[in-house]
Amino acid sequence: MARNDNELERLGLTGGLTRREVVRRGLGGFVILYSGALAKTAAAGVPKFRNKELKNTLKIIQWSHFVPAYDTWFDNVYTKKWGAKNDTDVSVDHIALALLPARAKAEVAARSGHDIFGHLSPQAGLEDNVINHKEIIQEVQRHLGPVGKVGNKSCYNPKTKKWHGFPENFVPDPVHYRRDLFHQVGVKSPNTWHDVLNAAPKLKAIGHPVGIGMSNELDSNMALIALMQCYGGFIQDAHAHVTINSKGTREALAFMRSLFKKGMTSEVFAWTAASNNQGYLTGRLSLALNAISIVRSAELQDPTLAKNTALLPIPKGPNRRLGLEHVMGVYTIWNFTSKPQQKLAKKFIADLEINYAAAFHHSEFYNFPAFPKAVYGYQKQLGEDHHPPKGKYRILDTIARKYTANIGFPGYSNAAIDEIFNTFLIPQMFAQVAQDKMTPAEAAKSAEHDMKAIFAKWRKLGKI
Amino acid sequence: MTWSAIRSHGISYLIVGPFAIVLAFPFYWMLTTALKTNGDLYNLANVPFKFTTTRGDPEGQSPTLRHVTFIFHHTQYVRWLENTAFVGAMVVVITLVVAVPAGYALARLSGQLGQSVGVGIFLTYLVPPTLLFLPLSRVISKLGLEDRLWSLVLVYPSFTIPFSGWLLMGFFRTIPVELEDAARIDGCSRLKALWRVIFPISLPGILTVVIFTFSLCVNDFVYAISFISNSTNRTLSVGVPTDLIRGDVFFWQSLMAATLIPSILLALLYNSFLNRFIEGLTGGAFR
Amino acid sequence: MEAAAPSRSRRRWGDLFEERRFLAPALIGPAVLFVGLLVAVPLGLAVYLSFTNATSGSLSGTWVGLDNYIHAWDSSNFRTALENTIIFTLASQALVVVGAAILAHALLRPFRGRWLLRFLIVLPWAAPVALSTIGFLWIFDSQFSVANWTLVHDVMPGGGHLYLYKPANWVLGVIDDLPWVHTGKIDPFNPPQWLGQATLAKLSIIAVQAWRILPFATVIFLAGLASIPPEVEDAARMDGATGLRKFWHVTLPLQLPIAIVALLFGIVFTATDMTVVYILTNGGPFNSTQVLTTWAYQTGIVSSSLGQGAAVSLYLLPALVVVTVLMLRFARKVEIG
Repeated sequence: MARNDNELERLGLTGGLTRREVVRRGLGGFVILYSGALAKTAAAGVPKFRNKELKNTLKIIQWSHFVPAYDTWFDNVYTKKWGAKNDTDVSVDHIALALLPARAKAEVAARSGHDIFGHLSPQAGLEDNVINHKEIIQEVQRHLGPVGKVGNKSCYNPKTKKWHGFPENFVPDPVHYRRDLFHQVGVKSPNTWHDVLNAAPKLKAIGHPVGIGMSNELDSNMALIALMQCYGGFIQDAHAHVTINSKGTREALAFMRSLFKKGMTSEVFAWTAASNNQGYLTGRLSLALNAISIVRSAELQDPTLAKNTALLPIPKGPNRRLGLEHVMGVYTIWNFTSKPQQKLAKKFIADLEINYAAAFHHSEFYNFPAFPKAVYGYQKQLGEDHHPPKGKYRILDTIARKYTANIGFPGYSNAAIDEIFNTFLIPQMFAQVAQDKMTPAEAAKSAEHDMKAIFAKWRKLGKI
Repeated sequence: MTWSAIRSHGISYLIVGPFAIVLAFPFYWMLTTALKTNGDLYNLANVPFKFTTTRGDPEGQSPTLRHVTFIFHHTQYVRWLENTAFVGAMVVVITLVVAVPAGYALARLSGQLGQSVGVGIFLTYLVPPTLLFLPLSRVISKLGLEDRLWSLVLVYPSFTIPFSGWLLMGFFRTIPVELEDAARIDGCSRLKALWRVIFPISLPGILTVVIFTFSLCVNDFVYAISFISNSTNRTLSVGVPTDLIRGDVFFWQSLMAATLIPSILLALLYNSFLNRFIEGLTGGAFR
Repeated sequence: MEAAAPSRSRRRWGDLFEERRFLAPALIGPAVLFVGLLVAVPLGLAVYLSFTNATSGSLSGTWVGLDNYIHAWDSSNFRTALENTIIFTLASQALVVVGAAILAHALLRPFRGRWLLRFLIVLPWAAPVALSTIGFLWIFDSQFSVANWTLVHDVMPGGGHLYLYKPANWVLGVIDDLPWVHTGKIDPFNPPQWLGQATLAKLSIIAVQAWRILPFATVIFLAGLASIPPEVEDAARMDGATGLRKFWHVTLPLQLPIAIVALLFGIVFTATDMTVVYILTNGGPFNSTQVLTTWAYQTGIVSSSLGQGAAVSLYLLPALVVVTVLMLRFARKVEIG
């Protein structure tokens, strides 16, 4: 490295002494702080055995709940109480919902991980790596009666006769709409999709477009599959045969195209899962399909907006009125977990479900139990929520009971459905039509091609 | 200053200025965003470059520090910073211990074969980590390192060593063999010559490796989510999106603040060492 | 020297280390072992998985030959992803190399305030990529995009009526007249969706990739320029080479190896990156911005078709290897030859 100073000078590789001095001092301070931090971290890296007096440990991983208070209650109150009763130190890790699948696959590959894994969608693809959860279902059914149809269709594989997950909860997916704005344009409520289409141009004209996403994200996926259902378009039939290329699908596609052109803006193609919340909360959107997270945030941030917001079941289509669960809370236990840990995990899940009332309450009515009879008198609780307009949450009961289907309805939520959902083939189909890249017939045909390949693959594996 | 000096300086500003504005704008924007109240941020009528306080805003005046302090009071942000620093430092040490001898040997001792091995090691860099994390998580669990920072300390060198070895190989080549021979005539063994003579001359190259390694560790995302699930042991890249994006609600201001803090710290650090870094690259990649 | 009288056994070990054929493996060994165990073995496993029907995270399955590769190709989304990977990489790196070359030359000579400007330029490199991309998500937000605000609002304080979308539309109007482009114009009431329209989303991704790699490429260029002996420039001047001739015969050949090294790193960083696309668009709109890494992640990890995902992620590897070897050889040709 023989390089003379002239050359360095030329390159600007030497600086004035004073500046250098300053830098050096600054760095000195930085290094001291930094080494302090390192020592502390290294020391803390040594595993500590907390609560040594408890006999067992149970490790749970699940999403960071939309309602932070739910996590506080679950981590610090419920699990502690359950742990004391069962001589167990329960620890709960949280993870962003988008990262759950990667984490689950990593645990399977490692063949070790958490005793209980909480997913946010049915996990048919994991079937070979989990225990049969039948035992927990039976135990809970003994207390609460039969499991609801959404839970059943989401977590059971009729082909292999296996429960590949335990349906803990599902989240109803109501329509949020602005009463004031709908009143202003002279449409009573978005009761049918026809009403929505009717109101949309007027709403857009007064600067409040309708907001139904057509992007690669969860909310769009849910809303669009639900819309298809209302028009009689289904991904599969009850026997897991692809039926996407149907009149219903094509009608839904054509409907969405005209709804988009008349009443929406192109922002819907760019949405993340947060965008419809944001758009609605700023007062821009007049209608959005989402779990009650929108109206709950409005109650905190903008009480006037919350007062003007009403909830309804999904609008009725020519075929029927049928929405989807917004998210499906599914607990699984790995088959590589040791037998005693499995036993403990099963007990934890069963106990949680049997005593679901508190969870329902602390989730602020976000989580509905997958067992309809788990929360006694929940209709009354819904009605008693003190946020105005009072009683608006009561409709959630009707939605949950009558208008909520599993993904893959009328069939089961199988692995192929899972893959179609996660590769966003439905939003893709809708966006292609709305942006005039394809006609409804072409888009439905192209989707059918991709979906058939996915079904064939999973059928070959013996899972459908 | 002569006219030509002014002119040439002016040209420098004219060229560098716009680049600096474009490259740094997102950070200016993060700063502006981080200080706004929800009422200010989510109001389409407000001018986004200014702070506007709405009457009756439950969060009070805008600008506000409440969303910045939030990350310190309600998340384990400081802990994540420490964790990132710890992992980075450990990986730097491991990388140096493994890559310096390897780079030296490849440069000096093995001729054409060394060149091929060097290229071969570099190639491992091309493998996308999208799927590698699956087999690696088996390794981590077999070693009992799950949920420990040490799992990252073990895995990160797999992508820092290739570059570092390759760069140091180039760097050591530029050092005349005569220097070493002189040391050996003085009675030093090869290892001692490496330690006493080569190492000090190579400091710029080593520094380059240190900074580069550190920046790669800070950037990793895939391994950190796969191996570590408890909040206390998270690194920045994972802790921030996990705790500041809840379901479908983004805490934008806090997210921006959480990004800005390490960026500025690291940029100060990198910029202070930049001349040495360039010197190291000059030797390693181009000689 | 004090090491002149070691014990007998120590000397024997010492002698062993003096032997080239022992010393070299001993020094290279740890690196090869580390990289071999933590990259080569998992990679081998990934290659194996791509020939099986493995699902979810299980690391074994039934042999299905090339089925996964054929099925992957059959999906139009995969072909889009392959195309995008190549386009994003080449386009962003073209921007980066040109930008870095200009920037490095301007930064070469010292001037007042250089430290500060350099600090600003280094920032994108210092920011953890997952976090800085979230920053861009906010800049390109569907409703609160600062870019859109600036385009469609009066940017002159006090109502000077300067609307940037107007000159932009004028330019777009000119471009639109060309036969093979159809850009459309900016509608102030329905501003561009940077992540929601296929072409714009692709451009946004390219811009973010270029943004995050430009600082590092600039640093590489600075290093490369430092390695050019000043005598060469002087000699060229003595020979009376000026203008285009000097550029063609002296400047360009000297810069080319530097550009190659910068390009090499840029290609590696962009082609194997998943974070930027995953956070910005998650492949949307209508899967038009998927790249191989995100498509592999969606099929192999999120949707449990592990074998297929492995095949997708490995598609480009052979091409990358060839490109890299060629570039590495070229970059060091002067020295090897």
